Amino acid sequence: MKKLVALLIALAMLLACVGALAETVTEIPRNETLYFAGQQWGTVASWNPIGVNQNNSMAIAGNEGGYRTLVWETLYMYNPLDGGLYPLLADGEYAWNEDMTELTVKIKEAAKWNDGTPVTADDVKATWDVGLYLGNSTGNGYKDFVAGIEVIDAKTLKIVSVKNAEGAPANPLKLLDFISGTPIVQGAWIESVKAAFGDDVAAIQTYTGMEDGAFVVPHSGPYTRYYDDDQKVILVRDDNYWGQDASMWGKLPVPKYIGHAMYADNPAGDAALKAGEVDVSQQFISNVQDLWLKDELPISTYYEEAPYGLCLTMPTGWYNLNLPVLQIPAVRKAIAIAVDYDAIIASAMTNQSPSFADVPRSLMNPTPGEQALYDHEAVKDLQWAGLDIEGAKAMLDEAGIVDADGDGWREYNGEKISLNAVCPQGWTDWEASMEIVAAAGEKIGIEITTLFPTADQYYTVFTSPVQTEYAIFMWSPAAASPSQPWGRVYGLMSSSFKGIENNWSGNFGQYENAEVDEILAKIPTMSDENEIKAAYTRLVEIYLTEVPSFSLMYRPSVFCTYNETVWTNFPSDDGRNIPPLDCTDGYGIAALYDLELVGE
Amino acid sequence: MRHMIRNVFHSPKFVWGFGIFVFILIFCIVYPLFNPGNPLEMLQVGGFAAPGTYVNVYDTVAADINKEETLKIKFRLPGADEKRLESVLSADDRNTMLKFLAKVGVDTSEVDVEDLDQLLELWEKYFDPTSQPKGITRADWNKYKRINNAINRISSTDRRSVSEKDQDGQMAAVGDFSSIDYVSVDEVANHITLPLGTDNFGRDMLKELVSATLTSVEMGFIAGTVATIIGLLFGLLAGYVGGVLDDIITFITNLFTVIPGFVLLILISFSIGQEQRGVTTVALVIGLTGWTWTARSVRSQVISLRNRDHVNLSKLSGHSLFRIILSDILPYIMSYVVMAFILQVSSGILSEAQLSLLGLGPKSTETPTLGLMMNWSMLYKAHTSGYWWAYFPIILTIAGVSFSLNLMNTGLDQVFNPALRD
Amino acid sequence: MEQQKTEKKRSRSRKGYVKYFRKKLIWFVLTLIIAVALNFILPRLMPGDPVQAMTGKLVAGTTSNTIAKEMYERYAEEFGTNKPLFQQFFIYVGNVMKGNFGLSFSEYPRPVSDVVNSAVWWTVCLQIPAIIFSWIIGNLLGAVAAYRKKVWDKAVMPFTLFLSAIPAFAMAVILFVIFAVTLKWAPISGGYAYDMIPPAINSFGDFFAKFPQIMKLIGSVLEHYQLPFWSIVLISIGGQAVGMRSMSIYELNADYVKYSRFMGIKDRKIVRYVFRNAMLPQVTGLTMSIGTSVGGSLVAETIFSYPGLGSAMLKAVTSSDYPVISATTLIITIMVLICSLMLDVIYAVIDPRVKAAQFD
Repeated sequence: MKKLVALLIALAMLLACVGALAETVTEIPRNETLYFAGQQWGTVASWNPIGVNQNNSMAIAGNEGGYRTLVWETLYMYNPLDGGLYPLLADGEYAWNEDMTELTVKIKEAAKWNDGTPVTADDVKATWDVGLYLGNSTGNGYKDFVAGIEVIDAKTLKIVSVKNAEGAPANPLKLLDFISGTPIVQGAWIESVKAAFGDDVAAIQTYTGMEDGAFVVPHSGPYTRYYDDDQKVILVRDDNYWGQDASMWGKLPVPKYIGHAMYADNPAGDAALKAGEVDVSQQFISNVQDLWLKDELPISTYYEEAPYGLCLTMPTGWYNLNLPVLQIPAVRKAIAIAVDYDAIIASAMTNQSPSFADVPRSLMNPTPGEQALYDHEAVKDLQWAGLDIEGAKAMLDEAGIVDADGDGWREYNGEKISLNAVCPQGWTDWEASMEIVAAAGEKIGIEITTLFPTADQYYTVFTSPVQTEYAIFMWSPAAASPSQPWGRVYGLMSSSFKGIENNWSGNFGQYENAEVDEILAKIPTMSDENEIKAAYTRLVEIYLTEVPSFSLMYRPSVFCTYNETVWTNFPSDDGRNIPPLDCTDGYGIAALYDLELVGE
Repeated sequence: MRHMIRNVFHSPKFVWGFGIFVFILIFCIVYPLFNPGNPLEMLQVGGFAAPGTYVNVYDTVAADINKEETLKIKFRLPGADEKRLESVLSADDRNTMLKFLAKVGVDTSEVDVEDLDQLLELWEKYFDPTSQPKGITRADWNKYKRINNAINRISSTDRRSVSEKDQDGQMAAVGDFSSIDYVSVDEVANHITLPLGTDNFGRDMLKELVSATLTSVEMGFIAGTVATIIGLLFGLLAGYVGGVLDDIITFITNLFTVIPGFVLLILISFSIGQEQRGVTTVALVIGLTGWTWTARSVRSQVISLRNRDHVNLSKLSGHSLFRIILSDILPYIMSYVVMAFILQVSSGILSEAQLSLLGLGPKSTETPTLGLMMNWSMLYKAHTSGYWWAYFPIILTIAGVSFSLNLMNTGLDQVFNPALRD
Repeated sequence: MEQQKTEKKRSRSRKGYVKYFRKKLIWFVLTLIIAVALNFILPRLMPGDPVQAMTGKLVAGTTSNTIAKEMYERYAEEFGTNKPLFQQFFIYVGNVMKGNFGLSFSEYPRPVSDVVNSAVWWTVCLQIPAIIFSWIIGNLLGAVAAYRKKVWDKAVMPFTLFLSAIPAFAMAVILFVIFAVTLKWAPISGGYAYDMIPPAINSFGDFFAKFPQIMKLIGSVLEHYQLPFWSIVLISIGGQAVGMRSMSIYELNADYVKYSRFMGIKDRKIVRYVFRNAMLPQVTGLTMSIGTSVGGSLVAETIFSYPGLGSAMLKAVTSSDYPVISATTLIITIMVLICSLMLDVIYAVIDPRVKAAQFD
């Protein structure tokens, strides 16, 4: 009897559970859906493109390497493979004026919102104005560089740069970032939202873009919201998408649905990729080659061999120059040349990174475009591949940093040098890197201990300009965009970040060099290739001599692993010039138009 | 006392539990004597080497080519050639070749997978590594290319030579060996046996596991001791003194029973912050949140003892509270306390493991614990990648230790409560 | 006379009940208050500033150097983290009373109540049936082991004891690897199939029209339910069985059993009494163990990406999202509190001795 009661209770629980969902089910055909993993963590917060913190990475995501243009579109699409900007909403090439203070962009005749109205220059202006008004990522990100947008006619606009005291543009490169990284939102809709909420900025920022369970924000992209809950988000193709016009793609993207299930963690996402429930995974998969070599799964990556992906960023160890001992360049360089980078690459990246012997260190990521920007021969003697223990020891001895009391550790001003190597807890590949840096210290007689605080604590300390808690700590400089490598070098060495509270942008170690600042100020307006190359070569030279920070490895900014159970013809190193940006970002979205079903 | 201990060791359950526990402990203490060194040393560049013996390739080749031809050990083992072929081009690979041939339109009904010559001939005819036919996925195409490379590696000769660059930069043969040469593992200068492979950092799993087990047991003991002392103290006070003190203590005890201990643990560990969370601190926190059971049972025992004759006699003789508790009450409840202590140790070890898995365990760099090892292996996806050696032995150890303690507890229960004996 | 006596007895017993429940209720409220305070204070003692982390995510990549500071100040104001802690506490308690747990840090601007609401049902529907089921099976097994002995006592019992020594997450990992990864009998993650979506039912007619699809969803939910369910059940059986076995043996050896046997009362009848009596302490045992078992099963949820409180909590811990940590732990505490209150009530009803105790 009791048993029966209990069983009934259990059954009732289950029914209640289903009842709580209070909904029915539709199955989405597997062979019409492209599934992703590693992008969306947690429930979507909002579908409002001008809001803040939407946590909606399938629809609203400004990634390094290119904006995700599934729902809202940018004027141009960036392609890190060739550094080119390809028109999307824009029509043809952009044009600079003489002194690079104004950028003229035309908009395609065919470009339309999903409500059928044309995309106009007024929409671009409205997007910028509201961004500035709300202080969202568009406004905040560019307000130091974009002075305003002038509408010339319905389909032509002019982006005006902020000028410095001498009348020179603040940074023309950032204007190129702007046209490839800003999703354009419909002006009429912005007006309606402003009318509805009045002056309540916070209300507009947190508005969800949903009315009675329906998605109401006009957009120009090929996909629109279909469904989302705490377990998945689904986009559906808009078959009236303007891009099927011959002036753009000439066809619709192949998958009818774009899906992303929310996985609790990386292992769950990997398991789903292996099971064929995921087509494109943005997760770092250690020993990714095991998936096809050992598990014999139909899985592939952009490159057939290591490093498998396109490395666009360089996780870096920063020296804290607030610590007196680290103000000595010889100490900084000695530690840097003693580190076993091959071990870092093997352990943290499972060799999915070119070694520093293959691509010698500089300020550039390993793409051919950036590598061509400096004179390799000129800095050859300064570059190091690591594990140079004897060299490091000699360097320290020469600088007078010796072990005087014979305890095996070197002293500075009579005190044993004791440093720590820090990164946020749980960032496993970084933790492994810091362990290896610490091991290098031991070999050259400098005590380095590792410390892995929680991410929050880490953020609080490393963004402080006066902190002395962390000696060597990790962060990644900017990856790839039209303004790179300038932006990256600026972040690595510009003294403009010195002393800034809550500094998230660069030079966390408080390095200062007047010559660097001077060169950095000139580069954005340089147009002569040789001049640019000379400038960058000088910067690399200073960087490798002074070592304010040191790259630990090359790393993709997005990972991209494909399971070809359902779909095939993903971008690969096959001459199509489509970057491995998850079939969604920047020019990477071109991949969606080329996909094929397996076996057809 | 001696009688009781003899009784205890007559309980088969206790003996089993005790035996398993002592075996694990002794193994963990003795093993490092045979395999000394830092358990956290990263031996491997990279990680997750499977269990087995690894023989240095460089040294193996050297060990053979340095030998005079007449001194070389040669074996003709049955099936050696087949094994060699299988290791380069397995039966699966040959089936994959067949699949490719079928895809490009060859009638494969006549092709025999066992007939290597025929297969290779067809392959050479139809496979062109430079042009990918339509309708083949990239993953498949990569696989075909790998097979093609393997085919090119199949050697028809049974001798191979080793060349080195000489002073002029010219390649010159320095020695050769044949397919029937063998070298004893003992002759190879460098080899390593890893009974449980390596973890994600390339550390010797067994060495690390042994050290982690000791730390975890130690943490269990600290947590158990703390919990037992607090529980005992509260239980004695509440039970013997009674009155308002009893009400207060009972309230606190009930409170901590109902607020899930695990939730408290999470909250406290979270609030301490990573830097402060050493092994001892975490063990203390676990002990501080786990004393309620002991307090409860001690209290109820003491209440039933409080009015016994011998206690009253002591009271009448004017013995101090301290002395009464120590000599008239404690001995009677000692068995419960010991049993509770054993359970506390076991739950302390489990709690550490669970906390670490949430990323709230002891800070990670200096000492391994079972929970931290488990956490690392999960973070590095050992379980979804099939690296069983990196997580299964840990689970087994946790379960083994905790099982042995539970067995001991059940055994004691039967000894101390004769009514429970069968 | 006789009638008067029973009348009196009944009213006394009713009074006893009322007194008993009042006491329980007061205790419930007191515990709740302390739980709320602990849930609020403890996470906020953590070093590190989550508002800082949030701003970081938003401004990462901008080359401008003043924005971060502006944003930081704005969010500190919005979350009230710039106010003193005790002031924050009263604001918090006031809001919690209204069911408002504030906004999540890591999923800003999503309300915490939304996070908790979508997760809590999955956990409740998983844990309660699992706990009840394992309690029943455990008690049956314990009783059988006590009465039948032989294989049950020598093999099955030690085996369940061994299973119960495995931590919940480890059992989850084992089941996951065997049934989901290797054998592919069970789905890998989530609460229902990855290629299903449940659109809203707008009318009663919809319910019937879409009945086959509803059944399909239920089927999918049940399929995803299996592994988390069994990983909780398998590890909890042992503990229950051991307790039941001891109690049964104790009762079987009791004088009344010997006496009854001596009197020639049928074995079946005796056994029924024995197990009924042995069962009572097991109900209390359930009250006590519910708190501990919940903790372990929450960690197990994360292995299966089961969309319950455990997964929500893990995510909150890793992102230091303390509004969510406070809320999830509070909900768990409240659930356990309610469960134990309910069990107390049940216990009072089925065990006459509790009634008696109230007369003293």
